[in-house]
Amino acid sequence: MTENCSFATDHMEACGHRATHVIGHSVGRKDTQDKVTGHAKYTDDFSDNTMLHAALLTSPHAHARILSQDTARAFAAEGVRAVITGKDYPNKTGSPLADRHVLAIDRVRYAGEPVAIVVADSLAQAEAATKLIDIQYQPLPTIQSPKLSYYSNTPLLHPNLNPYVGDSAEVNPIPGTNIATHVPIRKGNPQAMWAVCDEIVECEVSFPQAHHAAMETHVVIAEVAPNGDIDITTSSQSPYSIPSLMQATFGIHPAKVRVHTPYVGGGFGGKSSPYIEPLAVAAALKVSGRKVKLRCTREQVMTCLPGHIGLEAKVRLGATRDGQFVAAHITYWFDGGAYADRGVIVTRAATQDCTGPYRIHHVHCDGFCMYTNHPPTTAYRGFGHPEQTLVIERAIEKLADKLSINPLELRRLNAIGPGDTTPTQARLTRSSIGDVQGCLVRLKQMLDWNGTATVKEGKTVIAKGIACVWKTSSTPQDASSGAIVRVNDDSTITVLSGVVEIGQGTKTVLAQMVAELFRIDIRHVNVVLEVDTKTHPEHWKTVASRSTLLAGNAVVRAAQDAIRQLKKTASFVLQCEADDIHIAGGYAYCADAHDTRAKIPIGALAKGFTFQDGHTVGEMAIGHGSYTIEHVTKLDPTTGKGVPGPEWTVAAQGVEIEYQKDTYSYRVRRAVSVVDCGKVLHPDLALGQIKGGMNMGLSLASREGYVYDDSGAVTNPQFRVYPIHRYGDHPTYDVAFLETPDLEAPWGLRGIGEHGLIGMPAALANALSNATGMEVNQMPMTPELLWRLQTNKGDGP
Amino acid sequence: MIPIDFQYVAAQSVAEAIRQYHQFSTSDMSTRYYSGGTEIITLARLHQLTMDAVIDIKPIPAAQVCSIVEEKLFLGAALTLSQITSHPMMSRAFPLLQVAVNEIADRTARNKITLGGNLCGDIIYREAVLPLLVCDSMVRIAGPNGAKEESIHRIFRRTMQLKPGEFIVQIATDKIYRCAPFFHVKRRKMGKVGYPIVSAAAIRLQDNIHIALSGVCSFPFRSRTMEDWLNQKHLPVHQRIEEAIQIIPPELILNDYEASREYRRFVLRTVLEETLHQLGSA
Repeated sequence: MTENCSFATDHMEACGHRATHVIGHSVGRKDTQDKVTGHAKYTDDFSDNTMLHAALLTSPHAHARILSQDTARAFAAEGVRAVITGKDYPNKTGSPLADRHVLAIDRVRYAGEPVAIVVADSLAQAEAATKLIDIQYQPLPTIQSPKLSYYSNTPLLHPNLNPYVGDSAEVNPIPGTNIATHVPIRKGNPQAMWAVCDEIVECEVSFPQAHHAAMETHVVIAEVAPNGDIDITTSSQSPYSIPSLMQATFGIHPAKVRVHTPYVGGGFGGKSSPYIEPLAVAAALKVSGRKVKLRCTREQVMTCLPGHIGLEAKVRLGATRDGQFVAAHITYWFDGGAYADRGVIVTRAATQDCTGPYRIHHVHCDGFCMYTNHPPTTAYRGFGHPEQTLVIERAIEKLADKLSINPLELRRLNAIGPGDTTPTQARLTRSSIGDVQGCLVRLKQMLDWNGTATVKEGKTVIAKGIACVWKTSSTPQDASSGAIVRVNDDSTITVLSGVVEIGQGTKTVLAQMVAELFRIDIRHVNVVLEVDTKTHPEHWKTVASRSTLLAGNAVVRAAQDAIRQLKKTASFVLQCEADDIHIAGGYAYCADAHDTRAKIPIGALAKGFTFQDGHTVGEMAIGHGSYTIEHVTKLDPTTGKGVPGPEWTVAAQGVEIEYQKDTYSYRVRRAVSVVDCGKVLHPDLALGQIKGGMNMGLSLASREGYVYDDSGAVTNPQFRVYPIHRYGDHPTYDVAFLETPDLEAPWGLRGIGEHGLIGMPAALANALSNATGMEVNQMPMTPELLWRLQTNKGDGP
Repeated sequence: MIPIDFQYVAAQSVAEAIRQYHQFSTSDMSTRYYSGGTEIITLARLHQLTMDAVIDIKPIPAAQVCSIVEEKLFLGAALTLSQITSHPMMSRAFPLLQVAVNEIADRTARNKITLGGNLCGDIIYREAVLPLLVCDSMVRIAGPNGAKEESIHRIFRRTMQLKPGEFIVQIATDKIYRCAPFFHVKRRKMGKVGYPIVSAAAIRLQDNIHIALSGVCSFPFRSRTMEDWLNQKHLPVHQRIEEAIQIIPPELILNDYEASREYRRFVLRTVLEETLHQLGSA
């Protein structure tokens, strides 16, 4: 790809066959200089002498009745301004289901649940005072397995589930049970079709909850002004959802809430739930007029805040002798933890795409998000899809084995395509589904795939495994984004968008879009990197690989709007039709004019154009644009019928591993991804997203996960005992892109923020199953797991 | 953040450190010797450790020694693990210690963790002690009652048995041990950084294996009874290993987030097999 394609009058010629001069090129990131110089400010970097500090006290018990709370000693401690417990705020909070108190009242349901906040002059004083709060608990029986929670209802964690306020389109709790939500899929008639199947396989898959491992822990600064206005600075992926949550929780009018989000040090979904913002506001309300900072420790993020969802699942998959998939019956019991939070939406996302990118006419699926005495859960990169993929891909691998069909060919044979329908009976087009088959063909070549055959060298076994991936978003029907494009006097452009810069680089891509449309150098486009909900147009949330579609369309429309305004003003000056005006290289000129003096810098048109005699024509150029997803529908509550998202990004992925038979240890040698991304807008960022996702997926699959004690408390909430991939643990990554355009999206792009991760657990499980001859259906896939599988098989060492 | 206030003094000599300790103690201040500080930071921020004063022993020249005198290697207790790993002399002088400490924590932490700090830590693994146990090292200790030199076996029984006011100044190790054929292995849950499920340091001396283990129990240890079984060369390797493992009371074998008890026992077996094989005793 041509790197330095400087602007020329005819930019298309200058870029060879390419019709773009900025899109498709790895331009410098807009946040680089701030970050490499240490100038970038994150929420915790905002500090002043008058700021108070909040410290959180959390429950040590996974399930207990609160018998008494004595805060007198804490309140009397030096520097302490306020001590807040559950009784101070009888309100309930939580989105989409308000099923928890701001701070626990009467009962705690997980170890790590917030029970009190101390506000003091210094953080040390606040922390020290938390140790002076005396809380008497009476431990209660706990429930840890989501499947058990489904079958037994004892203990019943939310006996008063009925009056909880929730958005019925988003969550479907069943009173009298531990079911936080139930999502059914009923397509065709699987019951009648099992008889037609020549081969039927069944698998059970499970894994514990896990941690997002963003470098920056959650931080919130909140201040209540004398007039009741609330100012919040927070490391959040969802700043625009906070004002309405404050209304639902505290009755504060959303217009009185300003949310400021500076750079965010990674989110991976973990910062999509506004989980600690109500806590910080609860503290700030008690010390009105003072800023309060609440910063979570790593241990608190791992035990108190929502993590990656756990799962127990069962799948039954049937096919004809020649390998046509006929029917699938899948049940997910997600470990959503003690409170619903976003775990219920993750459950829906997994259920709506439960089959993976395959044509299956008969599908019965039940997604249950279960209450347990574990920490709550939220979005995690992939949002239900790494989970859904592991389940179906293990069944497909087993089916291929039974049918003696090459697993890659079996996948290709059943690959979903235009005209087919998804589990929710959404009819697909080439634009909406992309090219699953094409991804598999390319994967076969890149992975040197020759079936499940392994290579044995002494005690070492080399094996490969593959998986197919698809994902659409689970955006609400009105997910929207707005953008403002300003033209500056010096002919540069400034872009405003509500997308949060969490390291993903979206704002650089938005700047590329604007540079492309204005036909100017990317260096002349500024993009405001922080977000302020009162001054930036709303962007739904920085989640779901949705920013380039939503904000991209909004920014394109805003840029076009600004260009239209500039052309109109220029047409007065140049005395030609607005349609004949070209905007390029920072100038407006008439297409037919050979007189180069007739080029007007666009900066001179920014506030209308002032002639030499002083009179002015036209008006200030401010482009605005917005985009709202269309054609997405709610899922039918009994059949699941509906259109869950606008388009799917599909991929095929594989790994090659080196397994040691004597120690059960292994290492991943290579990992390959072929992603149909619609259009590569920024090659380096696209590669970074996919490789980063693959790294995270392999880390999750191979070693991560909470280890609970007998009651359900997390025993490994520190990086010293919670292993994640470290530098040097990663394999060689090979990534290729296909470009089947999504006709709805700018330049045909598709979201790619999560897709590198999605197939990695399944591909690794399939490779390990091939290497060991055992069914590897659990995460984390540690040597201990492989040893246990072998030992349980009866022929262990 | 460390949520407590405490006093910090740096001692320039052994005598000054002892004097400071005495002074703080008589003022009723709880006092700790401070070396790398990694454990003080990690435990204090969790309110699991507290103190009124710390005495930094790193500036003491005797605690920074790395030299060989009459075939004895003297290592100062305040040397960082990184210094031990990267010292040009160590690959010949004490290669077992070099490889063993190089697998503790990660490089950033090893730049801070000291030899003496690891030996005296609250952390259950204390893997730096393993080479010293198999090499019968001597420990030079300073304290209110003067200096003394003790065998590692007398002074380390599951933990360092130091009296109030005492601290380790140096470790001395004879050439016959530190230059003997050796083997070190560390097995983790996954990856190349982390605590051990089992880590072992071993040498072969006059056809006998010395071996010390960490990660198996909540303390590092060297067991003569275990070694006796492992060195019964007339018995098949399999039996030697099984008998050696039987020595450990089953309830003492750790069962936690790193590994289950049963899996630890399996890993221990493979580690012992590999050790015997590598040291030519299989």
